[in-house]
Amino acid sequence: MSDDATSFPARLERASAATRALRDAIGQMIVGQVAVVDQVLWALLGGGHVLLEGAPGLGKTLLVKTLASALDLSFSRIQFTPDLMPSDVTGTNVLVLGGAAGGAGRFELHRGPIFGQVVLADEINRATPKTQSALLEAMAEHAVTIAGTRHPLEEPFFVLATQNPIEMEGTYPLPEAQLDRFLLKVVIPDPTEDELTAILERTTAHAVALPSRILGRDDVLALRALCRDVAVAEPVTRYAARLVSASSPDAPGASDLVKRALRYGAGVRGGQALVLAAKAVALLEGRAQVAFSDVQRVAAPVLRHRLIRSFEGEADGVTTDAVVASLVGGVPARPEGVERALQGR
Amino acid sequence: MPAADLATFEDRFSRAARGVRARLLLRRMTAGAAVGLVAGAAAAGALWSIRAGELRPWSAALGLLGALAGAAVALRRRWTDEEVALFLDARLGAGEAIVTALEARRSEADRGGPRGTILRAAAEALSRADRRALRVRWLERWYGAGALAAAGVAWASLAPLPPEPPAPPAPPGAEIVRLPGLLGLEKIEALETLGGRDAAQEERLRGLAAEARKLRADLARGVERRDAQARVARLRDDLAAERLRLGDRANRPGREAAVGKLAERQLSGAAKALGDGDLAEFDREMQKLANQQEAESRRAAREALEEAARAAREKGAEALARALEAQRELFAKREASAQALRELARELDGKLSDEARRDLEEFGRSGDPEAQRRLAESLGKALEGLDADERRRLAERLEQRMEGSGGSGASPMTREQLEELARRLRTPEGRAELEEQLRELARPEASPDAQRERGLGEAERGGAEAERGLGGVPMPGGGTSGGGEEPGRGGSERGSPGAGPSPSGGDPSAPGGPGSRKDHGRGAHGGETPRVDGREVRSKASGRLGGGAPLHGATTGRAPARAGETAEQAGSGALGEVGPGEVEGMDRSEVPEEYREHVGRYFQP
Repeated sequence: MSDDATSFPARLERASAATRALRDAIGQMIVGQVAVVDQVLWALLGGGHVLLEGAPGLGKTLLVKTLASALDLSFSRIQFTPDLMPSDVTGTNVLVLGGAAGGAGRFELHRGPIFGQVVLADEINRATPKTQSALLEAMAEHAVTIAGTRHPLEEPFFVLATQNPIEMEGTYPLPEAQLDRFLLKVVIPDPTEDELTAILERTTAHAVALPSRILGRDDVLALRALCRDVAVAEPVTRYAARLVSASSPDAPGASDLVKRALRYGAGVRGGQALVLAAKAVALLEGRAQVAFSDVQRVAAPVLRHRLIRSFEGEADGVTTDAVVASLVGGVPARPEGVERALQGR
Repeated sequence: MPAADLATFEDRFSRAARGVRARLLLRRMTAGAAVGLVAGAAAAGALWSIRAGELRPWSAALGLLGALAGAAVALRRRWTDEEVALFLDARLGAGEAIVTALEARRSEADRGGPRGTILRAAAEALSRADRRALRVRWLERWYGAGALAAAGVAWASLAPLPPEPPAPPAPPGAEIVRLPGLLGLEKIEALETLGGRDAAQEERLRGLAAEARKLRADLARGVERRDAQARVARLRDDLAAERLRLGDRANRPGREAAVGKLAERQLSGAAKALGDGDLAEFDREMQKLANQQEAESRRAAREALEEAARAAREKGAEALARALEAQRELFAKREASAQALRELARELDGKLSDEARRDLEEFGRSGDPEAQRRLAESLGKALEGLDADERRRLAERLEQRMEGSGGSGASPMTREQLEELARRLRTPEGRAELEEQLRELARPEASPDAQRERGLGEAERGGAEAERGLGGVPMPGGGTSGGGEEPGRGGSERGSPGAGPSPSGGDPSAPGGPGSRKDHGRGAHGGETPRVDGREVRSKASGRLGGGAPLHGATTGRAPARAGETAEQAGSGALGEVGPGEVEGMDRSEVPEEYREHVGRYFQP
C-alpha cells in the first residue's frame, strides 16, 4: 500500500484530485476567471509569488481569501498605504515590562502580517519603496530580519500582491528589479457579460461562506515537491532558454520588434520561472513531463513583467504581451528540419 | 515493471523511427531525382541545341545522380533519435512524452520518480499511433517538375536535331590567290638596276626589288590575298619613305639650307623643286638653267649649286650635298652641250627650217629641254641636208671662227670644241659621229638622282598597279606630279605639252584641257552627263581610281606620330616630314615681321 502511495503515478493522481477539488472550491466563489485561478495555482505549485493586476472590483481580494480558506493556511492581509512602515509589515520587538512582582522588562517579538502563510499585499504600489522592499526581501528570502535577528517564515509562504493599473496618483510603481521576485504577473481581465451577470446575482444575495479546508500545509508542500519532480526534456529546456535569449535586444538573433521596443530582456530568473511554471502546468494537467505547449502557455504571465520596454516601445504603445506573443510565434520549438517535415504534412 | 516499460518503449520507438527515417530517405531521394531531372532536361535541351544527338538520352542519368545525391544527403543528415522523438511527439500530440522518455531511459530507475510514468506514457502514445500519422510526407507538389523534366528529356532525346547553321563566312581576304604574272611588281624589281646614291640606298633598293621578286614567287605558288595585299602595301610604304628620304630628319636642315641658297640666287623653280624633294623636276630646272644663253645666268646657277652643296654639307646632309655636286658637274657638261648646239645652229642659220628657228628661239629663251630635243633633231636634219661643199664651207667657217677667236674666248665655244666640230664635219666618219651626238643631245641626259627619282616613281606606280591587281583600292601614292604649270599631253592644237609626267594620261585624240591657272584652256569643254534612267538614285563610279601618278604629298602608310605630340617634338616618318607648304611658311605667316626671325628660330628643328 505504502509502495503504491509513494509511487509517482499515485502521487500524480492525488495531486490531480487535490487540485481539481481546489479549483472547484474556488470556482464556487469566483465567477469565471478560470485562467486566473489556474495561474494562481501554477504559482502555488511552483513555489512562487503572484502579482495580480486588475481593475477594482474584479475579485482579486476575494480570490486570495478563498484560496487561503481552502488551503487551511494562516492568512494575513496587508493594506499598503503611503504611511505604512516596514515594521508594520515585518513586526517589531516591543518592551514588555515585568509582572506584578516587578521583574525586569524584556523585549518580545510582535510578528507582523508577513508571518502569515498566505499573505495578501493589497495595493502594493501604494506603499513607499522602503516598505515595498521589506516585503520583497521576505518574498525572496522566505525570512525577515528584525533587530538583527533572522526569522524564517513558515512554509509554504505564498504572497499574492495586487495593484491597480488605472489609479496612478499617489502610487509608487514597483522597481523592475523587484518585479522579478514575482513568479507570475496575472492580469485579471474584465468579466464577460455572462460572468458579470453571475457575479451580480451571486453578490447581491446572501453571503456565501468561504470554502472549508481542502488542502493542508503538508499537502501543499507535497504538491510543490511533486512539481519539482516533473521531468523536462533537454529540447524543452533549450526552448525556454531560446525564448529568454530572444527577448534580449542585444542578442544576435533578436527580432526587429525586440530591438525596437525593449531595453532589457528577461534574465535567468525569467528562464527559471518559465520552466517552473511549465512544470506546474504539466502537473495540473496530470502529466509527468513538460511539453513545449506548457512553456508557451506560461510565457505571457512569466515574462510580461520581466521585459523592460524602451522609450520607443513605450511611445509606440507596444505592450510586453505583444512582444511575448511575437517571441512565442517567432522562436521555433523544434529543430528546423523537424519543423519543415511537420509543416509538410 | 519499469524494465518492461523500457523494453516496450524501445521496441515501439525503434520501429517508428525506422519508418520515419525511411520516409525521409525517400523524400530526399525523390527531391534529388526531381532536381537531377530538371538539370537533365536543361542538359538535354542544350545538347539538342548543339546537335549532340547521341548524348541526349544520357542526360536522364542526371535524375539518377540526383537521387543518389539525395540519398547521400539523407544519410549525412540522418535524424537523431531526439529529432525523431520530437517529430513523433508533435504528430501524436504526446506532450513531449517520447523525447522525455528518451532521456529518461538513460537515467536510473528511481522509485518515486517520473521515469516509469514517462516511459509508459510514451509507449502508449506510440502504440496508439495511427501508422499513417507517423509518415513523413515524401511527395511535394514541386516534384511534379521532375516528371515534366523527364518528359522534356524524352522529347529532347527523340526530337529531330535542328538544322546545321550556315558556315561562317571566311574572313575577307583569306582566300588563296595565284597570280604569277601580277603586273606592277616588275617595276619594283627594276629598282635593283637603278643604282643608289650611296651603298645604303643601293642596299635598300636591292632589298625592295628582292621583296618584290619573293612576292612574285609566292604569288605563283599561292598566297592569301590579304597577306599579298599587306606585302604590297609595305612595299609601297617603303618606296614612299625612300622618296622622302632627302627630307627626313637627318637631311631636312641641309635641304632647307640648300633651298635657301638657291632662293637667294633667284632660282625659284629649282628651289621649289628641291624643297618638294622632287629631284626629277629639280634636274629639269637645272637643265633649263644650263641651256640658258646668258653666261651670267649660268654662272649664277653654278655658284648657287656650289653654295647649296656646301650649305647642305655643313648641315650634315651629306647625301644631298653629293647629289648637288653631281648636279653641278652635270651642269657644266650640259652647258657645253647647249653652247655647241647654239654654235652649230648659228653656222647653219641659212639651212634651218622655220620650225627649227622657232625651236632655236625658244631654246635660247627658256632653255626648255624639250626645245633642246627638237632643236637637236632639226640640226641633225639640217646637217643631213648639206652637200659636201656646204659641209666643207661650214667646217672652214668654224676654223675661221676658231682662228679669229685666237682662243681669246670671244666665241662661246672653246677652241677645242670648235676644232672638234670642224674636224668632224670634214670626214664622213666625223659627220656620222656628229649626227649621233646630235641625236644624243635630243635625248638630254638626266642626273642620276633624277633617274633614280623616276625609277622610284615608276616603282610606286607599279606598286599601285599590283595593289589593284590584287583587288585592293590603292591609296594615292607620293609620286611625282605633273608639272602643273603647262597643259597636259592631250592632243592640243598647239602641241606644247606639259613637261612632267602628267597623271592624266589623256587620249591623244582628245582635246587638251587646261593645264594651269595660266592656261585658260583651248580645248572643247562641251558635253553633258547622261540622264540616269532608273527608279532610284543609285550609281557607281566606274572611273579608274589612282590611274595616274599619285598626288604628291599625300600621306601613305602608317603614321608613327602619336596623339598629344607637340610641334616641339620632331616627328619621324612620313607625317613628320616637312611639307612643301611649310617651306618658308614663317615668312608667309601672320607673325609680325620683327618677330619672325625669333619665332622661326624657336621652331627650327
